[in-house]
Amino acid sequence: MLFVSLRDLQWRRRRFLIGVLATGLVFALALLITGISAAFHNEVIRSVNAFGADEWVVSARATGPFTTPVFFPQSAAGQIAQTNPGVQTAPVVILRSTVHTTRLRDLNVIGVAPGGVGWPKVHDGRLPRASGEMLVDHSLGVALGSSLSLGGTRFTVVGRTDGVSYFAGTPVAIISIGDAQRLALGDQPLASAIIVHGTARTLPAGLRAVSNAAAITDLRRPLKSATGTIDILRVLLWLVAGGIIGSVLYLQAIERTRDFAVFKATGVSSRSVVAGLALQAIFLAMLSAAVAILFAFVLTPTMPMRVDMAGSTYVVLVVVAIAVGLLASVSGLRRALSVDPALAFGGA
Amino acid sequence: MGADLAIRDLVIEYSSGGYPVRPIDGLSLDAGAGELVLLLGASGCGKTTLLSVMAAILTPTSGSVRVAGTEVVGLKGSALTQYRRKTVGVVFQAFNLVPSLNAIENVMVPLRGAGVGRREARERAVSLLERVDLGERLHHRPGSMSGGQQQRVAIARALAHDPPVILADEPTAHLDYIQVEGVLKLVRELADDGRLVVVATHDERMIPLADRVVNLTPRADTSAREPVRRSLAAGEVVFAQGERGDLVYVVDEGEIEIVRRRDDGTKELVAVMPAGSYFGELAPMFGLQRSADARARGAAVVTGMGLREFRERFHLGDARLLGDAAD
Repeated sequence: MLFVSLRDLQWRRRRFLIGVLATGLVFALALLITGISAAFHNEVIRSVNAFGADEWVVSARATGPFTTPVFFPQSAAGQIAQTNPGVQTAPVVILRSTVHTTRLRDLNVIGVAPGGVGWPKVHDGRLPRASGEMLVDHSLGVALGSSLSLGGTRFTVVGRTDGVSYFAGTPVAIISIGDAQRLALGDQPLASAIIVHGTARTLPAGLRAVSNAAAITDLRRPLKSATGTIDILRVLLWLVAGGIIGSVLYLQAIERTRDFAVFKATGVSSRSVVAGLALQAIFLAMLSAAVAILFAFVLTPTMPMRVDMAGSTYVVLVVVAIAVGLLASVSGLRRALSVDPALAFGGA
Repeated sequence: MGADLAIRDLVIEYSSGGYPVRPIDGLSLDAGAGELVLLLGASGCGKTTLLSVMAAILTPTSGSVRVAGTEVVGLKGSALTQYRRKTVGVVFQAFNLVPSLNAIENVMVPLRGAGVGRREARERAVSLLERVDLGERLHHRPGSMSGGQQQRVAIARALAHDPPVILADEPTAHLDYIQVEGVLKLVRELADDGRLVVVATHDERMIPLADRVVNLTPRADTSAREPVRRSLAAGEVVFAQGERGDLVYVVDEGEIEIVRRRDDGTKELVAVMPAGSYFGELAPMFGLQRSADARARGAAVVTGMGLREFRERFHLGDARLLGDAAD
């Protein structure tokens, strides 16, 4: 009996195609915001790990190295290295600033001691060796050799990283700690965090160690409301998609009432009738999911934010699409089930 | 292949617009394999309703319908499905083919629905369509076929499981006279093959083909009758809703109230007929059942007369009667 459902889809192909395109677009939006949410999630992990720290040391009054700049003497880094044999440390200053490229951009600025530990991997170019040089993430969109003004001081881009950003895609720029102290701290020898290689068992008073996991959690906190909103939007988009599929199938069930009555009157079981309609729902949902994946491929490069699409996202899309399709078709299925075969005796 | 039909004391009553309607009231009928039975009657007389009961699609109010030894009333579950598949084939009014399917696929539907394999169902469908002379139209959809061709596809579909009983509802209703000829021939052939064919129709052209005609709308009795004068006590009933009757009544003295019973048991006063007026003419004229109770408001006298006497007394034509009368 499945051939009847497929023929019906061919028969009403224009409406079916409109339904597929509309549902596919909604699924694509759900896919894209899922990718954006995943990018928020992933960039934090990538950025914290980029510094190669085993742990971070911050002021006891700070919640984490990236979100709460509470400064303490830079010399604490040396003390920790001395009192914890085998441990390497690097003091850092973490700031936020703005920079003019083609437009005004926000920038996460991190000052790190040249030649020491704590420098992320360079994607192209080289690490800064001297004052006035900058390593910046690709996402800022500036070329090697570009000159940027940061708080009135000019920096030359000598290297670029790939995927080091946080606070919803805000790129990270890394300069020497001395430059960072000059920019924001009036040249005082202060640091807001210490990158630690190894495990520091003894810490100076007023400081505490923060694991990478804790730093990641702390860094995700400011985006919680944004990711929560995205999650709500995603559910709403699933509902809209369900609404489209549901209305297409309900309309189908209404228009085919006489057909269903004839089927039942000629001894076709209600189960076969319902299975045929459910097959249409699954077919519509799967085709919409395929269209959504195509849309997502086309739209992703046009997004101003990074969109991370894992293979599992597509699998989840197909599974959720089928579930949404089946749930949405319940009203149509109920309608088909309730059709009285006596209607088959009605005239034209 | 042979199947006998035995209907006993069949009553079908349903609600229509809030009023109880009883199109079939105490019908009994016997027919045998190889017979073509016509259920003849005007619209609304219960022809299609009776077919629905025989097809086990509608449950009657009371009575018994036995087809090929199976009691149809009360069939449920798989027994009901098997009955619809194997015992009866139905040719619906207006063909009721699925517009998205071509001729072969329309005939395949009941076969595939019963679990017959695709290839076997296809071969059977092609063979049936060739039998009804549609070998050239196998891949045409209903929209590109004439009414007669669609009706023949519908007949092929009804024959899908080779049932011993074929029920056809107004098979000539949507056809021109050229198409009717082929369909009538085909219907007769179905009976000649040993099937019991029951056709509901108001097309009297089919009468010569039939082995048995069941007229569900009794013809008006226009024979001369002596008027009957009745004296009624208050509340006494002249006739009751749902009864058949062949008399028209004239109020000689007193008043008669016309009261219609609703589904929920309540009653609705339709009219009060004063002395000199007449009532109850539509039922004998058109073979309909009485649509309301008629009873005396107080002491009253009425005269019941046949249609011929009624027309003579009131010098009325049919058109005038239709416009003025209360039944």
